[in-house]
Amino acid sequence: MRFLRDESKFAQGKIAFLQYLSVGVFLLILGGYWNLQIRNEEIYSLKAERNRIKALPIPAPRGKILDRDKRVIVDNHSSFSVLLSRETLKEEHLKPIAEGLDLDYDELLAKLKRHRARPKYQAIFIKEELTPAEIAFVESHRDPDTYPELELIHTERRVYPESGFGAHLIGYVGEVSESELNLADFAKYQQGDLVGKTGIERQYNDLLAGVDGQRQVLVDNKGNERRTLGMKPAVPGKPVELTIDLDVQTVMELAMDGRRGGAVALDPRNGEVLAMVSRPGFNLSSLSSRERNRQWREIFSNPEKPLLNRAIQAQMAPGSTFKPIVALAALESGEITNDTSFGCGGGLNFFGRYFHCHNKKGHGATTLKKALAQSCDVYFYNVGNKIGIDKIAEYAKIAGFGAKTGIDLPAEAEGTLPSSKWKIRALREKWYGGDTISVAIGQGYLTSTPIQLAHAIGGLAIGGIWHTPHLLKGEPASKPARKADLNLDHVRFVVDGMCEVVNGWGTATNSRVPGVEMCGKTGTAQTVSNEYQKARNIHVKDNAWFVAFAPRVNPEIAVAVLFEEGEHGNLAGTIARDVVKAHFDKKARKDMSQSQPGAATAGLQTPAGGAGN
Amino acid sequence: MDGFLGRYRNLSVLVIVIMAQLVLLAVQVKNNQDVRLIRVWAVTAMTPLARVLEGIRANTFGVAGEYWQLLEVRSENRTMKVDLDRLKLENQYLKEELATAKRVEAMASFVQRNPSKTIGARIIGAGSGMNSKVVFIDRGSTSGVLKGMPVITPDGIVGKVTASYPVGAQVMLITDPTFACGVVSDKSRIHGTVRGQGNNQLLVDYIQNEQQVAVGEVFYTSGDDRIFPKGLPVGPVRVARQGKLFKEIYLAPTAFEKGLEEVLVVLEGVHQQIPDLLPGAGTGPEAKPLAPPPSESVPTPVDATPQQKPDQKLSTDADKLLEKYRSIGEQQGVRYGNPGRVPNFNAPPPVVKPPAPKTETPPAAPVVPPN
Amino acid sequence: MPLPEYSEANFVEGRRRKSSSSSFRPIVFFLVPLFSVLLDIFLPRFIESARTLEFPLLITIYFSLMKRQPIAGIAIGATIGLMQDSLSQQPLGMFGIVKTLVGYFAASVSLRFDLNNPALRFMLCNFFFVFHQFFYWVMVRALLGQATNINGMDELVRSLLNSAVALPLFLALDKLREDES
Repeated sequence: MRFLRDESKFAQGKIAFLQYLSVGVFLLILGGYWNLQIRNEEIYSLKAERNRIKALPIPAPRGKILDRDKRVIVDNHSSFSVLLSRETLKEEHLKPIAEGLDLDYDELLAKLKRHRARPKYQAIFIKEELTPAEIAFVESHRDPDTYPELELIHTERRVYPESGFGAHLIGYVGEVSESELNLADFAKYQQGDLVGKTGIERQYNDLLAGVDGQRQVLVDNKGNERRTLGMKPAVPGKPVELTIDLDVQTVMELAMDGRRGGAVALDPRNGEVLAMVSRPGFNLSSLSSRERNRQWREIFSNPEKPLLNRAIQAQMAPGSTFKPIVALAALESGEITNDTSFGCGGGLNFFGRYFHCHNKKGHGATTLKKALAQSCDVYFYNVGNKIGIDKIAEYAKIAGFGAKTGIDLPAEAEGTLPSSKWKIRALREKWYGGDTISVAIGQGYLTSTPIQLAHAIGGLAIGGIWHTPHLLKGEPASKPARKADLNLDHVRFVVDGMCEVVNGWGTATNSRVPGVEMCGKTGTAQTVSNEYQKARNIHVKDNAWFVAFAPRVNPEIAVAVLFEEGEHGNLAGTIARDVVKAHFDKKARKDMSQSQPGAATAGLQTPAGGAGN
Repeated sequence: MDGFLGRYRNLSVLVIVIMAQLVLLAVQVKNNQDVRLIRVWAVTAMTPLARVLEGIRANTFGVAGEYWQLLEVRSENRTMKVDLDRLKLENQYLKEELATAKRVEAMASFVQRNPSKTIGARIIGAGSGMNSKVVFIDRGSTSGVLKGMPVITPDGIVGKVTASYPVGAQVMLITDPTFACGVVSDKSRIHGTVRGQGNNQLLVDYIQNEQQVAVGEVFYTSGDDRIFPKGLPVGPVRVARQGKLFKEIYLAPTAFEKGLEEVLVVLEGVHQQIPDLLPGAGTGPEAKPLAPPPSESVPTPVDATPQQKPDQKLSTDADKLLEKYRSIGEQQGVRYGNPGRVPNFNAPPPVVKPPAPKTETPPAAPVVPPN
Repeated sequence: MPLPEYSEANFVEGRRRKSSSSSFRPIVFFLVPLFSVLLDIFLPRFIESARTLEFPLLITIYFSLMKRQPIAGIAIGATIGLMQDSLSQQPLGMFGIVKTLVGYFAASVSLRFDLNNPALRFMLCNFFFVFHQFFYWVMVRALLGQATNINGMDELVRSLLNSAVALPLFLALDKLREDES
C-alpha cells in the first residue's frame, strides 16, 4: 500500500508538479499585483512613500547667548512639545485631544486649516512646553489603538532672563513670516521654522539657529513605529559670546527701571558695547512662542511701543549733550580759543528772535569750560552763530551723527544731522541763521540716538577715533574705525569742561562717582517748542539726556542715557553714574583677584570707593 | 471552462480563498480599518468556551495546586525546627492564604471601598503572537465595558481596554511597550509617566535626574492621563538611577505578582488620594468623574497637582545677577539711577546674600566669580 | 511508459485513495480547531513558554492530512487562521492565508504517504511548521511592510518541539477518528 509506484502514479506526479508550479506562478503574479496596487498604490507619487515613512523633526537647540565673561544670558532648557501628524489624523479624535491638552477646539481646527496647504507628512506643533500632566496624557493616548496621530518630541526651548532683562538686546524668536521668507537671509527656511525676529537673535540667527534634524521612521499600517530608517541629528546652534558685561548691564537695567528711555554703555577704545537697555521693556518668554497669545497681542498694541529699542532707535533732539561737539567744531575751526568768553544775561537776540538761556538770570562772563560745566546756552548761541551750521555739521558728521553707527543690531535709526544742503534737499527750504542757533544747543532739526551720542562723545574723548560699536566678542566690527586729525589740546579743553560738569561746579554734581573721574554732559531737551506749548496751554516734560565717559584720561567706558520726560539732564546723570560705578567696581574686583591669585577663592576684596564702612 | 474548473477544482478553490483573504487584507491595510465583524464572531465563539476552561482550571488546578502547596509547607514545618525556615514558611503561608481565600474577599472589599464604579471580569486568554501583551476578558460591551476603560485589581493597575466586543474585550497590559499612564510617587509626590517595556518591568519616564526617588517608594496613578483615576497603586521602585536625560526608574507592577485571574474594569473612575501621604489641605476624596470611556467631556482631574514643576524655576545667570544687585541696592538703601547715595558694589557684604565674598566669614563664602 | 496520463486506472486509484480519507464527527470538526485556538491564547497566561507551541497549526496539519481533500484542507486552514487573526493584533488574513496554504499542501501531500507512520508525521510537521513560519515572515515583510527578525535556529528548535508535541497529539486525535479502513 505504501508508496504505490506505477506508471499512472508517475504521471500523476507530473500533474501535481504542474499544479504546484501554477500555484507558484499565480502567487508570484499576485505578489506583483499587491506590490503595485496595495503597497505603493501610487508608486510615482511621493505621498505613498511618505505614508509609510514618517518624518519627525528634531529641532536644533539654539545657541546660548553669553556675556563677555561667558556668563549665560540666554539659556536653553529641556521641554516637550506635542505634534499632530496629519496623515493618520481622524477628525473625531480632535475634540478629545483638544480637551485633554486644554486647547481650544475651534482654534485647533483653525490651525489645521491654516496648515492645509502644507504637505501632509509634516506634522504640526499643537502645544509646547508640556507640563508633566500633559506629557502623561499624550504618552498614554498615543498607542495605535487610541490617538496614534499624537507625537511627542523633545525640544530645547529658550530660557530668557525674567521680566524683560535685556529683551531689546536679545530679541525674540518666532515662526518665520511670509514676508521674511522672501528675504535672502531666510531663504533656507520653511513655513513653521523658528527664526530670530529682533535683536541678537535676528542679527546672529545663522550662528544661533543650528540645523534642524529629522528622524525617519517606518510606520506600519496601524501607525506603529517599526524601525528608525534614518536619523539626521540636529546640529545645535553655536553659542554667541557678547561684549556685554552682565554686571554693567544689570545695574543699567535696575537704574532704568520705572523710566522710559534708552541707555547704552560702550568701550570707546574698541567699540565694544558693555550694556544696552531700553524701557519700557517686554517679557521675552511671552513673545517667543508659536502661539500668538494675549500677551503677544498686548505687547504689539501697546501705545508705549515696548518693542522699540530706544537705545538705537529713539531719534530725539540730544539737547545740550551736543554742545561738546559744537565746542570742538569751534575750537578746530579756530573761531574760538579756550579762553574766548561771552557774556550771558539769560538770553540773547538773534535774527530778530530772543533765545533764552536755561538760566534766566544768566551766567555772566562765560568761558568754554564754564559754558560746558553750566551748560550756558547763550555761549553756544554765540559760538554757533560764529561758525555756522556747516562747520557744526562737518564735525558732527565726523563724530558719527546723522548716520547709523553700524552696530550689529537690526533696524538701527540714523537720526538727523541738519546742514544747509540737508535742509534744501529734505525740506526744500533755505537754511536760516536762526536754525543754526537751535542746532548749536542740540535742538531744532537735530536728532540722535543714545548710541550715536555715546559713540560720538566716546570717540571724541579718546582723541578722535571712532570705533564702530559692536556686540559680538572677538569679532571685528562691521566697519573700520574712523579717525579724525584733531588737535589734542582742543580735545583736552572739551574734556576738561565735561569733567567740570560732574566734578566741579557743573550741572551734574549729583552724579559724582567716588574714586573715578567721570566726565559728562547733561542735556535737557525740549520735545515740543515753547510756542507750541504755550499755544496749546500744555506742559510737555523735557527729555533728560546724559552722556558720560570715565576716567578723564584714557577713558574706557562711555555712557549715553536718554530718560524721556526726565525733566532735567542730571536725573539721567545719576543713571550713568551707577553704570560707571558698576564698571569700575567690577574692575577693582578683577584687579584684586588678579593681584592675589591665591586669595581668589577667599575672594578678598576691598571696597574701591572706600565707602564700604 | 467548466471542465477546467472541474479538473482544477482544488486549485480554483485555493485561489479563490486566498484571493478573498488578500482582498480582506488589502481593505484593512489600505483603508487602515479593521474588519470588526470577523473579530466579533471569533471572540464571541471563543468566550463561552474559554470561560468554561477557565472555570475548570480555577476550580481544579488553582485550588488543588495551592492546597497541595500548603500541605507540603505544613509537613515541612513539622520536620524542620529552624526559626528562619519557619518564618519563611509562615510568610509563604500568609501569602498563599491571601492569594486564595482572601482574594475574593479582598476584591469585594476593594470594590466597596473604592468609589469608582467597577465591574469584575475574568481573564480568559492571552493575545496570540510572540510578544503580545494583551489579554482577553470575559466582559464586553453588553456589560458596559468600552474601549479606553482602565482595568485594575486591588493590588494595582492591569491595563486598559483596547477593543471591546459584545461578550469579551481585549485589554492591553501595562507591560505592553505602547502602554503609558501618568504616575506619582507616594513619598516625594513626583509626577511622571510610566511605560511598559515589553518585559515584566515598567519604566517611569520624565522625572528629572535631580529628583530624589528611593528604591521601595511606591508609584500610584496620578490621574494626569485622564484614563486612570488617581490613587491606584502601580508598583514599587526596584531600580532608580541617573539617566541620560531623565532618571531611570523601574517598577515591578504589583498587579501581576499573584498572577492575574480576576480583574476589575473601571466603568466610571473617581480620583482618590495617594495613600499615606495626605496633603495638608485634604478636602477628602476628590469626587471628580473621569472621562467617560469613549473619551468625551473630560473633566480636568482637579487634582491640584501643585508640585507640577518641582520648584525648578528656570533662570539664567542674568537673573541671578539681577537678584544680587537688587539686594545690594536694598542693603545700601540705594535706588539705582536716582540722586542720592552712590552704590558701592564692592562693599563687604552683610550677613545674608553677600554680593562679594569676605575673608572674615569663610563658611558663608559664596561663589561669586572673582572676575 | 506511454500510458495515457488520465487513464481510468488513474482515476480509480485516486478515488480509492480518497475513500481512505478519515472522517470525523462534525462536532469534532467544530470543537477541536476552536479548542486549539483557545489553547493558543489560554496557555501562555500561565506558562510563558507555551507561546512556542502552535496548536492551531498542528491541528490544521492534522486535519488536512487526515481528510486528504485539498478543499477540506483549505477550509480548515482558512477558518483556524482567521480565528487566530481575530485574536491577535494583526490585520485579518495573515494567519488565514498562511494556514490556507498549509491546509492545501498538507492535504495534497497526504495523498501520497502513509500517515500512520510516526516518523513521517514528525517530518511532515517539521516541514509544514518551517513552511508556515517562513511564509508568515514573508507575508509580514511583503504585505505589511513590517520588519520582523527571524531567527533560523530558534525556528528550527520550535519546529522540532512542535513536531514532538504533534506526535502524541495526533495519536490522541486518532482516537476521534471514525475510519472505515
